[in-house]
Order: sequence, then C-alpha cells, then structure tokens
Amino acid sequence: MPQTMTEKILARVAGRPSVRAGEEVLARPDFVIAYDFPGYTDVFFKEAKEEFGVDKVSSPERFVLFIDHMVPATAPKEEELHKVTRQWGKEQGVPVHEREGIGHQVSAELGYATPGAFAVHFDGHVSQLGAFGTLAMGARKSVLETFVSENMALTVPGTVKIELTGTLQPGVMARDVFHHMVRVLGPSSCRFKVVELCGPVIDAMSIEGRQTICGQAMFLGATTMLIAPDAKTLAYAEGRSKIALDPVYPDADAVYDREVTIDVSALAPIVVAPPSPANTRDLSEYAGLEVHTGYLGSCASGRLEDLRAAADVLRGRRIKPGFQLHVVPTSQAIMSQAAREGLISTLVDAGAFISSSSCDYCYGRIATMTDGQRAVSTGTLNTPGRMGSADSEIFICNAAVVAASALEGCIADPRPYLAQAEQARALEGSAA
Amino acid sequence: MSMPNLQGRAAWIFKEDDFDIDLIVGIKNIKITDIHELAAVTMTSYDPDFAKSVKKGDLLVGGHNFGYGHPHYPAMRAMRHLGVAGVIAESFSPGFFRGEISMGFPLITCPGIRELTARWDELKVDWEASTVTHVASGRQLPFERLSSVERGTLEAGGFIPYLKARLAKQGETPPLTA
Repeated sequence: MPQTMTEKILARVAGRPSVRAGEEVLARPDFVIAYDFPGYTDVFFKEAKEEFGVDKVSSPERFVLFIDHMVPATAPKEEELHKVTRQWGKEQGVPVHEREGIGHQVSAELGYATPGAFAVHFDGHVSQLGAFGTLAMGARKSVLETFVSENMALTVPGTVKIELTGTLQPGVMARDVFHHMVRVLGPSSCRFKVVELCGPVIDAMSIEGRQTICGQAMFLGATTMLIAPDAKTLAYAEGRSKIALDPVYPDADAVYDREVTIDVSALAPIVVAPPSPANTRDLSEYAGLEVHTGYLGSCASGRLEDLRAAADVLRGRRIKPGFQLHVVPTSQAIMSQAAREGLISTLVDAGAFISSSSCDYCYGRIATMTDGQRAVSTGTLNTPGRMGSADSEIFICNAAVVAASALEGCIADPRPYLAQAEQARALEGSAA
Repeated sequence: MSMPNLQGRAAWIFKEDDFDIDLIVGIKNIKITDIHELAAVTMTSYDPDFAKSVKKGDLLVGGHNFGYGHPHYPAMRAMRHLGVAGVIAESFSPGFFRGEISMGFPLITCPGIRELTARWDELKVDWEASTVTHVASGRQLPFERLSSVERGTLEAGGFIPYLKARLAKQGETPPLTA
C-alpha cells in the first residue's frame, strides 16, 4: 500500500504494517523533548507522580530536557524551576541540557533529529526537526501521556504536499519563503495536516533554511512539516543520530489530501506586519517605516546563514545611533562558529548587542519594548505585546532585513548592501 | 454519548478569521494566574460589561482558524470561570484545539455557524446527532465528529481523568477504534 512519510513513520511506531490518514493509533514516540516552563514540565513531573503514581518515566533514554527559557534567570522562582528540572533529570536518568542553545536547534545538533524518527514536544516549533525527515509534533499538554505511559494516542494526520519550484533571487531567504507560503496558501490551509515539502528550491536550500521553514509549520495551521532526507541531511545525521533507523521516503503514489506547487522565482523580501503571522506583505509596502529595535535570533532564525547575511549588510558600517540591535545566535555551537568566522566582531563593530543563546528575546522577557516602539524581528511571532507593551509593534522579516533596518532606522531593503558585499567578495577573489 | 448537551446564548461572536485568543484577556495580562484578576480583565476591550452580562452555560462563536498564534491557556480559563461552556467555530487552529480539549472544554467545529448566529441567540449542541441548532429559527448545522480520544477527554472532563480511565481499562491495547 503506497504511503506518505507520515504514514510510514507512524506505522512503525504504532507497530503496524501500515496506517492510513484518519486512523487513530497508539504510537510510541522515539523521543520526548521538552524545555522547562512553568505550567508545563513542572506540572508534568507533579501530575505523573501524584495523579498517576508514576515515579519513573518508561525508557528514559527517549527523553531530553532543555533549559533555554528564562536563561539567565532574573528571579529566584525562575532559578527554582530550573533546579526542579535538573533534579528531576538526575532522578530519572534524563539528560538536561542548559545554556547550550535553543532546544529545537540543539536537538538537531545532538542527534534527536534522526531521519525517520517520531518525536513529540509540548511546543509546536519542534516541527523544525522535520528538516531532517523526523516527524516532530507539538502536542501541548497531551505530552503528559508520554510521561505516564509508553505510548501516545493520536490520529494519523493527512498530508499536504507542497513543491517549491523556481530559483530564489539574491537577498531572499528561507524566512521569506515560509511567509510567502502562508500568503499564497492561507494561514489555515494545512490545518491538522502534515506538510511534506519538496522541490528544486528545497533541494538547493541549506539545512538551516529548511529548519527555518519547517519550524514555522504551525502558522500554516499544520501539525508539522517534514522533508525527505537527502545527501545533505544524511551526512549531518551520520554520527549524530541517537538511534539507528532507516530513513523514510514517501512512495511515489502516496495519497495526499492536496498537492500544490508554488513558484518562488519572483519572490522579493517580505515583512509580516502586525497583528499576526497571517499578514505577509511585500517589504516595499513598508520600506521607510521608522523602527526602534531589531532582533536577530530565535529558533526560527539566528543560525549561521542568518548571521552571515547580517554581517554582509553591516560589515564596515555602523547602525543608526539610538537603534537597539540584539543578535542572539540560536545555539552556543553556532555562536562559536560565528566567532571563528569573524562574524561576531563584524556585528559588534557595527554596534550590535550580542547575547549568548536564549529564547527570552523572542517573547519580550528581555529587551522589552515600551509603548509606541516598533521592532523588526526574526522571532517566531508578531502578536502585539509579544515583545513587551501591548502598544508596541513587531514586523517579522529575514535576518538581512533586520540588519539593513538597523543601519537606516527604518524598514529597509538589504539587497543593495548584499550586492556590495557580493561585489567585494568577487574583487577579493580575483585579486587572490 | 454520555455528555450532557450544551444549550446557551452566543455571548460573543468573534467574526474575524485567525483570531488570536490572547486578545481576550489582553496580551499584557496573559501572565496573570489569579483567576479573579484574570476574569476582571476578560473581554474589556470588546465589551466592558461582558463579565456582567455573560451567564453560566453561554457559548462563544468564532470564525475560521480560531485560536491561531501561540494559544496560551489564560483566555479560556477566564471564560470558563465566567460560565462559558464551550466555543463553536467555523474551524479551529490545531494547537488551540488540542490544548483546550485536553482541559475538557468543548470545542465544536461547525461550518456556517458564524453566518447563522447573532449575539445572544440561543444555540443548542446535540452530541448524539452531531448538530448545532439555532433555537429561534430551528435551523440545524452538522458539526465535525471528534476522534475517540477527544470525545473521551470531554466525557471524562479533561485529559487527566480520561487518561487514568483509559490506562486502567485497557492496558494499552491498540488499536483504538474511531
């Protein structure tokens, strides 16, 4: 029976020869991933023990916890939460990774993004493990089920196949591609579905770009998104993967709920204007609008190619006086590599404020905006108030747009700066 | 199905698609945990008298993709405290849907409901027939059936009691039947 990637992966973890979209199954996740956050992990620990009498999770080697929110702590009760998490990990034999970066990224670095694996989290942005062909779902508080039993009940989702064709123009990044998909298909177009993403644009795209796109799946309404592994992702996974699995590919005659093709050749950089991720606009519509602060980071962006693009824009320049530019590499490994490449000094010399990896900028816990302020951001979400005052605004865009806007103090097109950087590189190349 | 049918007035119609439910309490209030404090700020930017006019058993009506964004729990916690018994919408965003069903809070996906309903109209949800009835006009709309887990969770009054019962009963024998 022909199957989608999702059907194949869920059939294996449900112990069945095959499953069909719409069937309810009990599936055994290969990995249970979470970060500590009040109301989630602390509650799971407590409920597992007190409500279910479960003192030990089953197969603790499947579990991994991250401390990436409230890092560093700013109040004793935050540090108390982290303490509880560390203690729980110790008791259970579950690794707790802290200060290594944003868990969704570090999960990939550590090998939890095993091609063909099934992973669950309470947070839907875990979908970015789909860049490696991992089926990774956010299940909110139902993740509790994995803390008290081996399996998790779920309905096998149908799949929407999206093929991206054409060639991306210079200065157009993965972030633009994702929000363009929302613009073309609509923010509820893939509700409760898995998106299988493919096509020449994806083939040519970096792993980092694929993580960016897959991580935002929820804003298409999707349960998750994934990409069939290729040489790039298999090479990344080799030596990292936590478990030995055969990679999974869709059958040629798999049954999809819908198949769409989007040509991205004409795409130019976008911004996502307030009040929601449903509002993708051409950058040109908002060019010149005054902005006061910029955030380059988050699980959705803040990887090396984002830092490189920002450095290309900012090299040898200074950001506008008074503008606050926060750069937060997605993981410490990325931070370290960026330092080796000289990107950190380029960004600092231009006036950027650089922090070690943390989720906290994305939701306004630090670098908080006050009334009337406006940000350009590569964070996940632009709901008014997410980065501070309910009377502040967030424009989501790619990393190069954040950098160009920091230079000009208003929403700005990075392409002229990127073209200059490209020219300078070409000159250097010919001189050598 | 052993769940009692719902009957109540449409206490508010969220006409917009992709509605971000954090706006119900106001983004700046989503960290409030005290339920009375939370209830006091609920819907204030839509109707300052909402808390006074809503009564036990009332329902909310929403558009397409209701709950889009990062759906935090305080908004519906506050609504439940004020007596709201469920939401009927054109469709729901998956994260919101999973999260609130696991709280044991009925969400009913019912295409056509937004057009059919004006504020304070009486609506009736019949679980057995899978229909929503607009009481004044007698018009009926079918709603999408729930999965067995979703149905079980609502019947049990939340995910924890549901899971306890299921684990006790079956010793985890797949397959589940729809």
